Amino acid sequence: MSSKDSIKWIYDQFKDTNELIEKNMEYDNKHLLLFYIKSLIDMDMLEKFVIKPFFEMSSEEQLNLYLHALPQFQEITSKEQVQLEVMKGNTLIVIQNEYYLLDFRLSKNDEVNQTSIETTIHGSQLAFSDNLATNINIIRTNYHQPSLTVEYIVEGEVNQHKVAIIYDKDKVKTNVLDTIREKLQKVDKQLISSTTQLNNYINDKPITIFPQMIMTERPDRIIYNLAGGKVILFVDGNPQAVATPAVFFDFMTTMEDNYHTFVISLFLRILRYAGLFLSLLLPAVYVGVTSFTPEVFRTELALTVAGSRVGVPFSSFIEVLFMLFFMELLLEASIRLPKAVSATATTVGGLILGTAVTEASLASNIMVIIVSAVAISTFVIPVNEMAFSIRVVRLLLILITSVFGLAGLVLGFFVLLMYLVNMDSFGEPYLRIYAFSKNKKSSEEKT
Amino acid sequence: MPKKQNKTKLFLLVLIPIITLLSGCEFKDIDKDVFVSMIGIDKSEEEDKPYKITLKLYVPTASFKQSPEPEYSYISHSGETLTEAIRILETYSDKELEFGHTKLIVIGEELLKENKAMELLDFLMRRPDIQLISWVAVGRPSAEKIVKMIPKGENAAYPALFNYFDGIGTESQYIVSTYLFDFARRMKESSIDIILPIIEVKKEESHFEVNKSLIFTNDGEPHELDTYATLLVNMILKNVEVADLFVKKEGHYFFTKIDSIKSKYKVKILDNNQVELDIKIHLNGFISESKKALDPEELTYYNQLFKQEGKENFVEALTELVKNGYDPIGFGIDYKARTWHNKRMTDEEWEEAYKNAKIEVEVIPGLKSTGAIQ
Repeated sequence: MSSKDSIKWIYDQFKDTNELIEKNMEYDNKHLLLFYIKSLIDMDMLEKFVIKPFFEMSSEEQLNLYLHALPQFQEITSKEQVQLEVMKGNTLIVIQNEYYLLDFRLSKNDEVNQTSIETTIHGSQLAFSDNLATNINIIRTNYHQPSLTVEYIVEGEVNQHKVAIIYDKDKVKTNVLDTIREKLQKVDKQLISSTTQLNNYINDKPITIFPQMIMTERPDRIIYNLAGGKVILFVDGNPQAVATPAVFFDFMTTMEDNYHTFVISLFLRILRYAGLFLSLLLPAVYVGVTSFTPEVFRTELALTVAGSRVGVPFSSFIEVLFMLFFMELLLEASIRLPKAVSATATTVGGLILGTAVTEASLASNIMVIIVSAVAISTFVIPVNEMAFSIRVVRLLLILITSVFGLAGLVLGFFVLLMYLVNMDSFGEPYLRIYAFSKNKKSSEEKT
Repeated sequence: MPKKQNKTKLFLLVLIPIITLLSGCEFKDIDKDVFVSMIGIDKSEEEDKPYKITLKLYVPTASFKQSPEPEYSYISHSGETLTEAIRILETYSDKELEFGHTKLIVIGEELLKENKAMELLDFLMRRPDIQLISWVAVGRPSAEKIVKMIPKGENAAYPALFNYFDGIGTESQYIVSTYLFDFARRMKESSIDIILPIIEVKKEESHFEVNKSLIFTNDGEPHELDTYATLLVNMILKNVEVADLFVKKEGHYFFTKIDSIKSKYKVKILDNNQVELDIKIHLNGFISESKKALDPEELTYYNQLFKQEGKENFVEALTELVKNGYDPIGFGIDYKARTWHNKRMTDEEWEEAYKNAKIEVEVIPGLKSTGAIQ
């Protein structure tokens, strides 16, 4: 392909943007043609590494060699690549008939964020950044293994985002990796902007209550998962990574467990599971016991419950659903609101509404206690995705209990267990307990 | 995957009919129930309506802090049968009568003398919401009096009477607790007799007295055990863990505090349908009170005295029971369990043999201290 044709092709491609800058430099028998998009590149670097040397070097040959030696240098394989890379912030350099790409990308989003979702008391407070290169840098600085492999795939027809597949070649399960690669190739979407989107697109069963990939913003969790042989997916511009295959118990560990002594972390773990069951079962148990089998209570409690329900116009399950509905609204509202206002919202919602509801006897005192206990114990679940799932399952359990009583609750819980047992995440049984795994290679606890 | 879908369909097809069968209880809000605290069953004065039922109902309250006084309401009615009486009682209350929290069933003394226990039991056992772990007791002078009395200092929502039997409140040695299931077992089994605590209210007094017990066979006249005999039977039955026993012998008169009681009993078969009741009882504790100064060096001697005294008391109490043919301890069951069915005596023969049984009691005393510091 002749030089003129190529340049003409480039003009054609970029004719719709007015940001493409073309610089033609001639000096002392040297000739250089530059193409770049002004808003994407680092001007200082361009000046320092290309423009200055151009005027200083004695011959075109020397300049050629110098450019080849630059670490930002990139070989060209196709015309399409040129277009893509220029759009990403590369500078196209033409000397005679030679085409080079130099990466002078300017990214303002490579600063590391503070952890905001999975906060801990001990341990690192830093999360990933929005920049893919920085994130890979973070992983590599924490995980020194030559077997750590990074693959890139471009996703999204319109926005052409880079997706990185990161894994430890020695530890990863090849069949999982193959499925993920295959699924990623098949994703046919216009816009890919978050890792969680991939979660929905590459799963077998898109309609599922429980997450099959664990989303995290903590580098230490990613390292932990890499060592466990999991595959990590990053999307450029997204500070959250997803790790897969994920089992149920992954969602119940926090990285803080590693920062405590054994007894303390065991205690915290017991507390967490207690919270899980409480938030899952408490409202349903309330409905079942008050409306179907009051014998289960102690006499005093039965009388208190009966007494506090005096004047409440709803049946117990309406009461529970009504209060839970307000609690869910409150939770959602406090997420959306600006930080300064959200504290007020919780006070108004939690305290004032709670008191007012009992005063107006729209719900019993005991109900308010139960709803708050449920709300608090939901927050104990360390990974947010799981907490959301539990909130949905809880409603289903309340529904079945309202119809069939405690027997229905037991049956509903049994169905939930069967559902979990039946589920798998990329071939990994969802309720697998790694500590008892026979397959040492996949054992996460042992690494 | 059509196969998997079929399986799911089949699963749902099976599951849904099964769920609909799981009716269990109906949906009823807790504030539409009224909880029955005690049932009192008396003999009524009317000829054709022999049963008089009195129910003690809890009045629910939102906060016991605001109303710490116990509040109850009572309804009572006479009927030809218990079910009929309860059916009518249901019309006396705007809410559903819920027997799930009934902890005590008091039977009037008069009614027991009429030999109606079997009929009562049938109703109590069959009704599904009456718990088999309720206690059964005898009310004197009548069940209604007992049920309707609220002693001073009673807590709201937990009638004082329950504390006598649950082993958490008072742990007196003179109280026998009989659960409904045990009552039923003793009733239906021919070789063990029923023992029930007697709850008494004396005139013009505002407290209960529970320190006697009543023994009755399935058909015979009830026999009352006095306080001391109740204690001894209680000890053999291992109902109590602590007891105070006295020794009055050879010029000494002291009380022992027993804090560990272990008893074993066994029926030995001698020749000619002659049986021997063998009881071995370990009593460990210390001396808690004495009329005379005691010498710690002489502890072995005091133990000997305690052993003799204990033996005499046990033999005396048991002899009286055995002579009248009452068997609350269950020697008959022990005998049946240890003998092959083809070599066993008939029930009549056993009763005869039991009345003439030899009683062998061995008290193994374990007084560890005189209670005084040397």
